[in-house]
Parts: sequence; C-alpha cells; structure tokens
Amino acid sequence: MNHPYANLSRRMTVVALLVALLPLNGLGLSLYYYFNYANTETLKEELRIRALNRASAIELFLAERTALLEVLAHSARLTQLSNEAALSRLLSIMNRRSWSFVDLGIIDANGDHRAYVGPYLLKQQNYRDAPWFQQAMLKGVYISDVFLGYRQVPHFVIAVKHDNGGESWVLRATIDSDVFNRLVRTAQVGQTGDAYIVDKQGRLQTPSRLGGKVMDKADLDLRAVPPGITVKERVNAAGDKVIRACAPLEHGNWLLVIDQNPKEILGPLNLARNVELGVLGLASLFIIAAVLIMVRLFIRRLEANDAERAALDAQLAHSARLVSLGRMAAGVAHEINNPLAAISELAGEAQDILDAEQLAKLEEGEVVGENLGRIQNQVERARNVTHRMLKFARRMEPHLESTDVNELIRETYSFVEKDALFNNVRVELMLDPALPLVQSDRAQLQQVALNLINNALDAAGQGGWVRVTSGVEGNELAVRVCDSGPGVPRDLAERIFDPFFTTKAPGQGTGLGLSISHAIMQRLGGSLELESKPGMGAVFVIRLPNRAPEAP
Amino acid sequence: MHRTIKVLTVDDDREFAAALAERLELRGLWARPAYGGWEALRIVEDWSPEVVVLDVDMPLLDGIATLGHLKRLHPGVEVILLTGRASVSAAMEGLALGAFEFLIKPTPIEELIRCIEEACRRGGEDGEPGSAPVQGE
Repeated sequence: MNHPYANLSRRMTVVALLVALLPLNGLGLSLYYYFNYANTETLKEELRIRALNRASAIELFLAERTALLEVLAHSARLTQLSNEAALSRLLSIMNRRSWSFVDLGIIDANGDHRAYVGPYLLKQQNYRDAPWFQQAMLKGVYISDVFLGYRQVPHFVIAVKHDNGGESWVLRATIDSDVFNRLVRTAQVGQTGDAYIVDKQGRLQTPSRLGGKVMDKADLDLRAVPPGITVKERVNAAGDKVIRACAPLEHGNWLLVIDQNPKEILGPLNLARNVELGVLGLASLFIIAAVLIMVRLFIRRLEANDAERAALDAQLAHSARLVSLGRMAAGVAHEINNPLAAISELAGEAQDILDAEQLAKLEEGEVVGENLGRIQNQVERARNVTHRMLKFARRMEPHLESTDVNELIRETYSFVEKDALFNNVRVELMLDPALPLVQSDRAQLQQVALNLINNALDAAGQGGWVRVTSGVEGNELAVRVCDSGPGVPRDLAERIFDPFFTTKAPGQGTGLGLSISHAIMQRLGGSLELESKPGMGAVFVIRLPNRAPEAP
Repeated sequence: MHRTIKVLTVDDDREFAAALAERLELRGLWARPAYGGWEALRIVEDWSPEVVVLDVDMPLLDGIATLGHLKRLHPGVEVILLTGRASVSAAMEGLALGAFEFLIKPTPIEELIRCIEEACRRGGEDGEPGSAPVQGE
C-alpha cells in the first residue's frame, strides 16, 4: 500500500455513499415500484370495466337478434314463411335496419330446408344431423358456435323453434361475421390491444389480431379461467407482458377475451416513472461525485498536514543537530583553550622576564624575543578560532548580552544592502540615537531583523521602499519595519505567523520565517506583531522589554 | 597604581596558575597561585587577597562551588571566573553567586589586569554583587 490513507479513503467513501445513497435510492425505488403497481392496477380496473361493457354489448346484440327471430317465428305461419319471395322481402327489410343477417332459412321438423334466402345454395340440404338443428329442436332457441357447415365457410347461426298445433319448424339466420367481428373488435385498444371470443373448446369465434383466424385454437386454457370476470397478468408467447381480461357471455358457451400490452397504454405514466428514475440516477451520480470530491479533499488535507508535520520534524531534527554540533564545538574549544591559555601565559612570562636589556646580552636574543612574540601571535590566531567556535555554540542557546539595537539593525541591513540596490528598493533607517542598550540575545534578534527586512524587500519589489524605525515606547523598545508593498489582506492577518503559511510561490518561501521569528521574540520576552491597516503596506513591529544592563 | 592589589590565581593547570601569578607580580601586583579549590580557600583564609582569579572547570571542588564557599566565608573578596568554555548556564550561575566577571580563556594579560583593577574598585565600594554583565568575548 503506497498510500497511507488508501484504506481510510475507501472506508470513508463507502460509508458516505451508503449513508447518502441508501435512503435516496430506497425512496426512489419504492416510488418507482409504487408507480408501477398503481398504474397496473388502474389499467386492470379499466380493462375489467371495458370487458364488462363489451360483454354486455355483445350479449345485447345477440339477444336483440334472437328476440327478432322469435317474434318472426311466432307471428307468421309456416306456409307464409315458406314463400321465398316473402322471405326475401323480410330479409331485405331487416337488413335495411342493419340487423346484419346474411341469410334466412326455414327448416321443418324433418330437417328439410323448406325455404332459403341468401348467397348460398342450401335449398336442397337436410339438417337432421346438424348439431345446431338438434339443439334448437331440444331447447327452442340456440345460438351456435362457429362452424363450417355445408357452405364450408366459418359462420354461426341463431336458430328459433316454433311449435304450432302439432307441427314445429325452425327459423334459422346466419349472422354477418364482419359486423359481429367489428362489434367484438371495439373492445380492443391501441396498436397492440386484442379482443376476441372463444368457445368452450377454446376455438376462436372471431379473429384475433395476434392469435389467428376463426376456428383456430386460442392460446388459452379454458379450464384455468374461473367463472365471472377475471383480470390477470401473463406473459405471451412472444415474451411480452400482457394483461388479459376474460368475461363469460351470458348464453354460456362463449368467453370474451381482451388482451392488452400495458406498455402502450401506460406510456405517459411510464414516462413520468422513467423521468423519476432518471432524476434518481442523476442525483445518485451527483452524490457520488460530491462524495468522491469531498473525500479526495479531506485526504489531501490530511496528507498536507502530514507533510507539514514531516517538514516541522525535519526542522526540529535540524535544530537538534545544530545544538549538538554546537555542544561538540564548545567542548573542543574548551579543551583547546586551556593549554592555549597556559602557552600564552608561559610565553608571556618569558617575555616579561627577558626585557630588552637581557635580550641584548644574549647572542641570539633578538631571535628569542621575536619568537616569543610570534608564539603570542599564533596563540591569538588559535584563540580567534576557538572563540568563533564558542560563539557558534552560544548562538544555539539564548545568550543575553547588552545589545545596541540600532547597531544591530545597521549591521543586518548591510547584509542585504546589495539585494536592495540590485532591486532598486530605497531603504530608510530612522533610528533613535538615544536608544538605550538592552539585555537580549543579539544573534537571535538579528535573525528576526533579517527575516523582517528580507520580507519587506520582497514585498516592496522593484522600485519600492522600505523603512526601519527604532524608538522607545513606554517601558519598551519598538522597532518597526514598513514596506510599500500591497500589505497583508485582513483574512490572512491571523494566519501569517502560522508555521508553513506562505504567500510566496512554491519553492520561494518555507513559511517558517515569521513563525520562527514570532517564537524567538516570545522566548526573548518581547513580541512580534503585524500593525498594518488593510490597503497600506505591511508594518511589522518588534517590541523588547527595556531592561538596560547595569553599568559596571 | 597607589595601592598594591593582592590576587590569588586558581587553576588545576599548575603551569598556567604559576605563570599567571608570576606575570601579575612582574606588573606590580601581589599574586600567588593555588592549584585547586580547597587550597584556594585555605590561602584566602591566611592571606586574604582582594581578588581571586578562579578557573571554573577543576576536579574535586570546581570553580562554582569554590566561589560559593568564598562568598559565604569572605563576602568582601571579588572573584573573576575564567573558563575555557562559554557555557551560559555556568556564567549565569557564577554571576548569580556574586562573581564580578566571567572571562573566556585565553585572556590577554592586559584585559585581565584591567578587570582586576575594576573588581578592586568595586570591592572598595562594597557594591551589590552579581549584576555585572557577561563579557561577550
């Protein structure tokens, strides 16, 4: 695992996504399913009502025609009806009123066709063995299933028996299939809806748009259809979902079937449902993106903190190394200083003893005198080295000495004078000549001053100016470093002393200068503050307690 | 110099202490060496010098401890501490215990003599001990 936070990142992402997406999608999906359920239920109810209405209409159609035939049969005699001219007139009158009879026939009790008007040549036929004839003779009124008969065309008939004082006969009419099929078809809706009638054997009595021609078997198991009006969802042979309403017709042999593909009817409602799903999907995507971005930002922040900590640790380790190096230097210097002091004193003593007269007496006196002087010079050289080492070591610990702050500022400025000239920055030192000496750590004060002056030069930029003033304020010494730069925005003013906070370009500043300076001033019992007003250049002020060293 | 100053030079490095005493003598001061803390205390008892030049880093009884005893027994004696190291804590401690000055070896003889004379003057005034600044070099 190269990323220390990969695990945390994964866990956070998963938890946040669960917390955000579960309720949202739970709500969305339950809405979706409720939509679906409600729509389907609405459609089923609609189908049930349509099946009921259409079944009534079909029943009415059949009942009206049966009644008409009964009236005819009862109001006329066999001899009258056997007159084909009269029968033909009767048929045309009836059809003028769109009763949609194809033909009319009179059959006597023996099954012989006594009279026939219609498009087929059936005059000579005997119907003694025809099921509809036997049923009509038995029941009085009979509506047949569709059959081929002598004419070899699928049709169904209504037959009415009449008894008249010993002789009985049957009046039979064939119903115009087109009219009847149209009537049934009014029950179907849309491009995909289907409506048809099946008989007890499951044969189609009217053509089905999808299921085939009349007399074909319908894909329907009649034994599975319970009595009464039923509405069921099913899957058809093509694999589409279909809602099927079945309504038995009153004369008992037929079943009206209405098939409806819910997709077509529910289109607008489903659109709303799909829009809801789409919105849900978009919202989920948005949440996922937001979570990922937030987790990424959070992890970045953590990594940045780690990097800061690592840099601070490195800084501390570096300081610790410097301190131990300083200790070592001090130890070495000390070990050398003692023999050095002895050499110095011994040579000095020799010099003291051998004054000029005595040297003159000696043959090589001049050489001895010179050599003693040279020994002192060499001791001086070594002393310079060891004292420099000690100074370096002392810089690591606060070391109070009486300090001339003005002189310190001048010296500090001398370090950066070349930079200022090079960048054409005008530097003014307005130092109070009456400034008292203070007890402080000169080296650390110098570090702070250098830092502030460097910052000011950076802020002033080409052609700007920097002003450093010193003075006594109450019981404190104050040193101000002002620049002509853009100043510090109000929202950053609180953070500029934070470690690793920098406004400079990456690689230009560590962001440690001001925080270290701030820490140094606190350690020295003083303070470092930003004093500028927004819109003006920055003004940093160093304050030091005015504790003048006692004059010895 | 009207008054002769009595100086005791104390260092575990015998050559140094002796040579320093000798040089001070040649410059018109009274000087005697001592080679350790205890010896220094004994000689101060007998001889009562005005100034003691005292090395900080010595075995058995180091300079700071010696200084403590000296100031307790003879508050009038002025002590100049010498050290090969520039330890701030030792300097602070020494000054707090009433040393007059804190010098880093090797010290040029002229500087040491100037310091001895100043200490003598202050000893005469019976000023407050322990408020002298640390010398930078």
